[in-house]
Amino acid sequence: MPVIEVDRLHKEYRGVIAVDEVSFAVEQGEIFGILGPNGAGKTTTVECISGLRAPDGGSVRVLGLDPRADRDELHQTVGVQLQEAGLPEKLKVRETMELFASFYREPAEIAPLLRRLGLADKAEARYKKLSGGQKQRLAIALALVGNPRVVVLDELTTGLDPHARRETWGLVEQVREVGVTVLLVTHFMEEAERLCDRLALIDRGRVVAVDTPAGLAERTGGGQRMRFRPSAPLEDAELLALPEVDSLTRRDGRIELVGTSNLVQAVTSLLARRQIIADGLRIEQATLDDAFISLTDHAQEN
Amino acid sequence: MSATTASPLSADVRVSPRRRITARGFRALMGMHVKLFSREPGVAIIVLVPIVLMVIFGSIPGTKKPQADLGGRSVLDVYVPTIAAMVPLMIACTALPTAMASFRERNALRRFSVSPVLPGGMLAALVAVLSSMALVGVLIVVVLGLAVFGAHAPTNLGAVISAFVLGFTAVMAVGMIAAARATSSGMATGMGTPFMILNFFFSGLYVPVAQLPHAFQTIGEFVPFGAVMDAWSGEGILWQHLAVLAGYTVFGGFLSAKLFRWE
Repeated sequence: MPVIEVDRLHKEYRGVIAVDEVSFAVEQGEIFGILGPNGAGKTTTVECISGLRAPDGGSVRVLGLDPRADRDELHQTVGVQLQEAGLPEKLKVRETMELFASFYREPAEIAPLLRRLGLADKAEARYKKLSGGQKQRLAIALALVGNPRVVVLDELTTGLDPHARRETWGLVEQVREVGVTVLLVTHFMEEAERLCDRLALIDRGRVVAVDTPAGLAERTGGGQRMRFRPSAPLEDAELLALPEVDSLTRRDGRIELVGTSNLVQAVTSLLARRQIIADGLRIEQATLDDAFISLTDHAQEN
Repeated sequence: MSATTASPLSADVRVSPRRRITARGFRALMGMHVKLFSREPGVAIIVLVPIVLMVIFGSIPGTKKPQADLGGRSVLDVYVPTIAAMVPLMIACTALPTAMASFRERNALRRFSVSPVLPGGMLAALVAVLSSMALVGVLIVVVLGLAVFGAHAPTNLGAVISAFVLGFTAVMAVGMIAAARATSSGMATGMGTPFMILNFFFSGLYVPVAQLPHAFQTIGEFVPFGAVMDAWSGEGILWQHLAVLAGYTVFGGFLSAKLFRWE
């Protein structure tokens, strides 16, 4: 049974559709990403999953619970880190942790949790004094303090410097290693690519695709792209005859090929058979970025 | 006996009360509010100013003489309830709205709303802490005035206690309207202060109520702490004062519940 099941979720604000029809399922123990441009409906989806908002249509189940009706039970087992959720400025880190720990039936131990999140030496610091990265880590610590089975992390690394971002990614991987299912909302491709087992790409309130990051990248058609200068003349037709090649362009004696994820392998074996050397060979892997752009652009055309 | 054969497991069936907030969580929330208040310099004023005022009034020699224009009571007699009233007024009109506003301002309520404690629990803990503060403050001022400086105790103790309690709920309910809407501490202060000054005036903080023109005295009966003062001094009709206070409580409570926004 999936840990999170979202089925045809629909939500409007004053007649404006924020989430049109979103469906996906998150399995036990995976890091599932929700990726999409700003205003795509990611946060609204997460808020419906977290029990903060009531859906206007469709259904949401988390660990078999209805997030609205079973809100109290849900919050015991689902840890949530929200975008733009602050804390009292004059409360110290340890005090904040102890406060939230007291709300749960089986809270985690605070000292080890703070150590794991690199906040042990900040335990006596007031919230106001923390850096952006430390505040984010505290937000993660608070999402984990109830020993949750599922954590929802919304725009976790927004506003963090690259170093803090990488550190935070490491933390998310640690969380998954102890068997916690992670729902990660992001608009960073790199983050999604690095962390997520599977992704739902959301655009304009709809799920455009659900796949692994690599699978999504392949979907764009431009699985791989290569450029080279052949050491001996090579017919276009020969290359285009390969099923892996989608398009070919010549420029200044160089050949540029776009094709599937097996493009490089197919072309290099052809060149080897013909004993042609590929000078100045450059290979580009289609990234999630390409997939994101092409899939969300496509949605805009419709 | 067959009645004893019930499976021992039946005792283990979890009868989950599904309480929104545990006693432990509620105590922790109250502890948080106490800590936050103790770190807020403005809050000391709420407790200290009335106590200092009481000590000053009690120490001035002339304040204990009965005066004809105060209806035979001494200045001290008149000012004990007035100074005591400052505590609940400042708590309800400034501490409550600013505390709520600062939580709202920082989006901290969003953080609570995804924990097992809903924001309502946080608000309840805040009200509990403020009520205890008000109770302690009023008791200190009254005990100082009556026991230490020898002011005359009110005759109808039941009326006075019920008037003070209802007076507190009345101004808390009105303060809650500001707490319901204010999105910054400054806005909260701005909303709460005029009502506080109005109550200060009619509780006789600036001029003793007995020296106010008759029309003002009549108006004062319909201002929460004007009504409380009358109940203390035994003026007017007690049930009318209590009804006024209950009216504010119900009206303020209803309106603030209607207007309340968590974010």
